[in-house]
Amino acid sequence: MQEAHVYGKYAHFAISDLFTFLSSCGTTLAVTLISLFLGSVLGVVIGLIRCSHNKVIRTIPLIFIEPLRNSPLVVQLFLVYYGLPVVMGTLLDVYSAAILTLSLNTAAFFSVLVHNSIKAVPTAQWEVGYALGHGKASTFIHIIAQQAVRLLIPQAITLYIGQLQCSSILSLISLRDLCRVGQLLTVRTMQPFIVWGIVFFLYYAISFPLARLAGYLENRLNYSY
Amino acid sequence: MHLNFRFLSNPIFIGLLKQGVKNTLIIASLCIIFGFLLGIIFALMRRSKIKALRIVSTVWVDFLRNTPFLVQLFFFYYGLPQLGIQTNPLVTSVIALSINSSAVNCEVIRSGLMAVKKSYYECAEALGFSYVQTLRYFVLPISLRVAFKPLVNNFINLILTTSVCFSITVVELMGACKVINGRVDRPFEIYILLLIAYCIITFVLSFVSKIIDKRIAVEL
Repeated sequence: MQEAHVYGKYAHFAISDLFTFLSSCGTTLAVTLISLFLGSVLGVVIGLIRCSHNKVIRTIPLIFIEPLRNSPLVVQLFLVYYGLPVVMGTLLDVYSAAILTLSLNTAAFFSVLVHNSIKAVPTAQWEVGYALGHGKASTFIHIIAQQAVRLLIPQAITLYIGQLQCSSILSLISLRDLCRVGQLLTVRTMQPFIVWGIVFFLYYAISFPLARLAGYLENRLNYSY
Repeated sequence: MHLNFRFLSNPIFIGLLKQGVKNTLIIASLCIIFGFLLGIIFALMRRSKIKALRIVSTVWVDFLRNTPFLVQLFFFYYGLPQLGIQTNPLVTSVIALSINSSAVNCEVIRSGLMAVKKSYYECAEALGFSYVQTLRYFVLPISLRVAFKPLVNNFINLILTTSVCFSITVVELMGACKVINGRVDRPFEIYILLLIAYCIITFVLSFVSKIIDKRIAVEL
């Protein structure tokens, strides 16, 4: 444990608090990035299934997507962390529960973005592909996918920023991320203003460049047919 | 695996759930109203001719959209007492959530305001309307109709976000479920029911909003 300079009732800030903040920043980033990656991969797969022409196959992913999109992340988190072990009979540790929840949540939102951006590419582009002698898969890879990705990127970054902020909710199952460390330090030093100010600043410092990047890319990649 | 929903027949828990629904409704409705009004004010500030107002609004929206709601909530709940302001969980969550949703609503309403062409303003001016009258009779009716769908999405998100307020001890729907879970220790059944309940709320709201949207849609 770090040495606390006890003064009166509560401890002062120590130098090691800086490292606590930084390491918690790392936890937040690590958990968020891993779950964003997993969520995006899963989201692309589900988004492609959603684009199928078969009506039955198209509606099956909705069973997965809709509950995740229409319920709070807290409830999903508690369901996974407290509920799932009861059903499965095995304990989940904090990290895996957090990553599982956040990546499933991201996948649900991401799949909708993927589906929308593929649908946003005009049908004429498909016809162009067929006219040039491409097959279905070939048209998709060489013509549709590239335009869809262009539409997808700014929206995806906006989603990522949102999920980064949602990752603060993961602290409610005592994952030691930025928000949790803020809580612990508030309790120890009893200086909520400074502590939460620092936490605000750190979250802002992480997500503001991303927000600017999204705005820039949106202008850059924007074009009309 | 053996599911057990017997706890639902206990009148104490039903009472708790009723209180939870009541608190959720209170928080959500107050935040929708305040967040909407604040959103309009900040959106208008964003488009005002005075530079200071524009900067204030930009910083406000930027800051609130780039920090998590949970941190804002904790900041208000634990930070304000240091300034000598007593906080009450319900009031704090209403304040924090309305401030948070004002930023999101501001962006949506601003895009609605941008849909109103310059000629509308000129037309209103030619007819001798003052600025406030122009807003009231020309600009807001059009821009709010344009922004209706995203606004309802924001409101639905807001209702979902109220569930975070349990972390500062407000007994709303989520808080009530957490209390019940503490008593009966049936996490899976309780949280899956809660998930379905939130889904039903949002489905009903989005269904109603679709009907309303069809009736008030405008062609620009």
